[in-house]
Amino acid sequence: MSDSTEDRSGLTRRRLLQVGGASAAVAIAGCGDIYSDDNPATETPTNETEPDEPDQPDEPATDQLAYGNCWICHHNCGQEVTVKDGATVDITGVDGHPRGSAGAGTEGTVCPKGQAQIEKVHDPERIKQPYIRENGELREATWDEAFSYAADRLEQFDDDHGSETFLNAASWTTTPVVNRFWKNLYGTPERISRGIHVCAGPTFMTGGMMGVGSNNRIPDYQNSEFIIAWGRNMLESFAGQFEAKGVLTAIEENDATLVTIDPQHTETAQKSDEWLQIRPRTDGALALAMANVIIEEGLYDESFVREETVGFEAYRNAVEDKTPEWAAEKTGIDAEKIREIAVGFAEAAPAAGISQWTGTAQYANSWKASQNITALNGLVGNIDRPGGLRLWQSAPTADPFEVCEFTPEGESEPIQGVDLPNNAEGKQKAIDKHDEYSEYPLRHIEGIAHNLVPEMVDNGHLNGIYVHYDNPLKDGNAAAWREAIEEMDLVIATDAYWNGVSRNADVVFPDASQLEKDTLGTGSWNAYSDRTWVTGSTAAVEPQWNTKPDYRIIAGLADAMGWSEYFPWENNREIINDQLSEVDLSLSELESGGDNYELLAEYDYEKWKSGDGPTFWFDLGHIPPFANAADEAGMSTAPEWQPPGTYGDEPGGEYPLEFYDSRAVFFSHGGDQALKGSQERYARRHNLEDKEYRGNYLVIHPDDAAERGIETGDMVEVASETGSGELMAYVSGATRRGFTTTVYGFGPGSVQPEEEGMNSMDVHSKQMDPITGQVARHIAVDVAPTGGELS
Amino acid sequence: MSENWVFYYDFNKCIGCHSCAVSCKNYHNRDPGVSQREREMADWRNVNHFESGEGDAFEEIPVSTSCMHCHDAPCVDVCPVDIIEIREEDGIVTHDRPDCIRCQQCLGACPYDAPTFSEAEDGRMSKCNMCLGQGTGSAHGQDKREQPEDGGVTPSCVDNCVGEAIKAGPEEEMLELASDEAVERFENGAHNQRVIVEPMRRGSEDVGSLVDRVGEGN
Repeated sequence: MSDSTEDRSGLTRRRLLQVGGASAAVAIAGCGDIYSDDNPATETPTNETEPDEPDQPDEPATDQLAYGNCWICHHNCGQEVTVKDGATVDITGVDGHPRGSAGAGTEGTVCPKGQAQIEKVHDPERIKQPYIRENGELREATWDEAFSYAADRLEQFDDDHGSETFLNAASWTTTPVVNRFWKNLYGTPERISRGIHVCAGPTFMTGGMMGVGSNNRIPDYQNSEFIIAWGRNMLESFAGQFEAKGVLTAIEENDATLVTIDPQHTETAQKSDEWLQIRPRTDGALALAMANVIIEEGLYDESFVREETVGFEAYRNAVEDKTPEWAAEKTGIDAEKIREIAVGFAEAAPAAGISQWTGTAQYANSWKASQNITALNGLVGNIDRPGGLRLWQSAPTADPFEVCEFTPEGESEPIQGVDLPNNAEGKQKAIDKHDEYSEYPLRHIEGIAHNLVPEMVDNGHLNGIYVHYDNPLKDGNAAAWREAIEEMDLVIATDAYWNGVSRNADVVFPDASQLEKDTLGTGSWNAYSDRTWVTGSTAAVEPQWNTKPDYRIIAGLADAMGWSEYFPWENNREIINDQLSEVDLSLSELESGGDNYELLAEYDYEKWKSGDGPTFWFDLGHIPPFANAADEAGMSTAPEWQPPGTYGDEPGGEYPLEFYDSRAVFFSHGGDQALKGSQERYARRHNLEDKEYRGNYLVIHPDDAAERGIETGDMVEVASETGSGELMAYVSGATRRGFTTTVYGFGPGSVQPEEEGMNSMDVHSKQMDPITGQVARHIAVDVAPTGGELS
Repeated sequence: MSENWVFYYDFNKCIGCHSCAVSCKNYHNRDPGVSQREREMADWRNVNHFESGEGDAFEEIPVSTSCMHCHDAPCVDVCPVDIIEIREEDGIVTHDRPDCIRCQQCLGACPYDAPTFSEAEDGRMSKCNMCLGQGTGSAHGQDKREQPEDGGVTPSCVDNCVGEAIKAGPEEEMLELASDEAVERFENGAHNQRVIVEPMRRGSEDVGSLVDRVGEGN
């Protein structure tokens, strides 16, 4: 189902197959009976169809069509999946999909990592059944045993340590109930998520404080005439394919100028009019110099700055002496080129946008880099104007705990809403409760930091953890994290693959993969600049082996804890239908009409015109917690220059190279490096498929490689002051001299079944941005051949 | 101008992601992906990455190629058992696979290294069939290739091309959507008129010559 006003005739898929036929669970309006889970055998969903659908033919299985929302990078590109005999055999995109196409009238596609989702369904490397730890060893268990064991251990943990010392580290779950379980019921205030803590804290937080939220990441590509990919590679590492498609559309239809600022060459750099191969971690200097040019030449939006912003004088003062010549020395970019880019950006504004995310946020001095870059948007007044920084809006969804209707056990009348307690109320997080963390400025604005978890475990302030799909061992301070996992009294893992957490867990719940689950996708940025949207899908196939969808895992654990009254839904589809009630939709309606999305409300540009207060803050002195943190960290509240090494590492001496980890188009995060098809593709991309090795590759500049006697295909050791790892070298001019990179999510502790490759965070210890605790991934290292056996 | 099916390739929209190659394997069920078999199975559609230059002049250019279904297919001439055919009805190059003697002479003759020989597929030749059939050796003897609007399938590589860089169809239709410059090059005999290639708009390498380099072992 999509917008009925669009003419979508002619876009019908060439393989007209039956919709939703393979979908498993029975749909019941509203909430169903309380789920009981006495016997694993009873969990197998029936093949009954919805009452309003035609009966399935009894003929031998034919191809059936199902939908999906891709969860490999969890950005919800629409999928059309061909199912044959209960197996997922082919996958393609959904035309016009908000995340997986370029918008109305365009083809939907699925990228290579998204295509791997059909492999994941049947991957024999997956965790196939529950496990519990007995006499120090993990052993296979029934679901009942696993739930009951986990419940006993959680109760014991609460008695021994207090539930407030249990850390909920779930990320990217496909059901919205997980955090309620841990906070409201188990009663822990401790929560760590991926975004701010290990992804791009400074990008998110500066955007939020400056007034634009995290919309500083994704501009209004389709309407843009000048796009800066600042430390971003959105043609390969996109948050939904609409990003890559939007950039290509802007080039083709608007003749947009594309500028990439990146120390390493990428496909985005290749497609750019200008690639500025900046010296790593000097983005903040370049941004200040661009502002200097824009102000000096009077190219900024004076009325926007005057009417809608705060702190311009402090900004002007900060950039006054930051000339292009000054920045050229810091960044290695020619002063004239800096002028040219600054003028080009300002003249194209407001139809000029910047995309920034991880590349400018994952180093220790990145708070100021992010602030300086985001400030350019306010300066040229591109805020919420076509082609500029879009203030994206999301479709509202209902809180299923509030809107669900069900009949409690023993009652005859249905009631609405679950009366959820808040058992975390009054409990303090370790960072606020204990003096040991008073040296960290981040405590003023964050509740926890990834890097500090091992220390908190050492101090006995955290004693247990729930990890769900996401693998913290790929995200900083890896060696200390591994020790912390071993030291914790209770580790519960929900995952599809074995990794350094699940292998060391006390309870392992095997999660069904995305195509085996009902999913709902919502969000803001997408291919339609002025529409909100939702996308949804019922499971394409049944959960494989003895796995369960994550909702059923949480509901089963709740039942064992005696909390089943709080989970009245039979399955996640019922929860999704409750969420969708806010926009008068259901999952089956979403999946009707030849697609699985709906475009919702239209919204205008320049939303700020309807507000009273300022729109944009250059100076962040108005936020006391930040001002306190900045003061302790020794930084100003206004934009300013902080050189590399102010915090974190500076290459030199024994460790002359700067190391960084990024992503390939074949993997997202650390959850799916187990997939053999993706590994193979990554190897072929580097012409190294003939080697047995299927780990990550170290991209090293030919001059750095020659000095060390390294050739492509050699095994090398990367060592920092605190750790090391071994991986295969790929010698290429794609990177700068002195700057060496790899793809994260491999090596010890990863989901790569042989743990092949390097855990890039084994060379990291506690380097971080002091304001957000964002892990700083630029590490001083050296590289040497290991002389290892080459095959 | 001909009704023979050809590929059209616009490097400017190719993001080098290999979605085409993965999609091809999935569609033709050549990608169980979950076993060692994947490693032993050569691609029908390849993405080669050509690196050149230094410093900020460094370039890395992905080029996606497969069997081009050449109107003058050299593989036909060298096959000792005469099983390769340029179909009269749609120009698609197919072969009567069971009779393949695994001599690999077609691979030697192919300008695009398109024929593959994988032990996991019994060592006989397999290659792109423009999705005329589904699966190895499935195209031989099929009816005329239909357009998607008439019930034919969109070639899988085209269907999942993220940048819409690859298209396929009758030559005259492909020339209609090509730029004037691409048409001119084609008409002047670029690539022996086996494939329509858009000129590169950003970058210094001539993508046309890169396409021709694919079969040269780059």
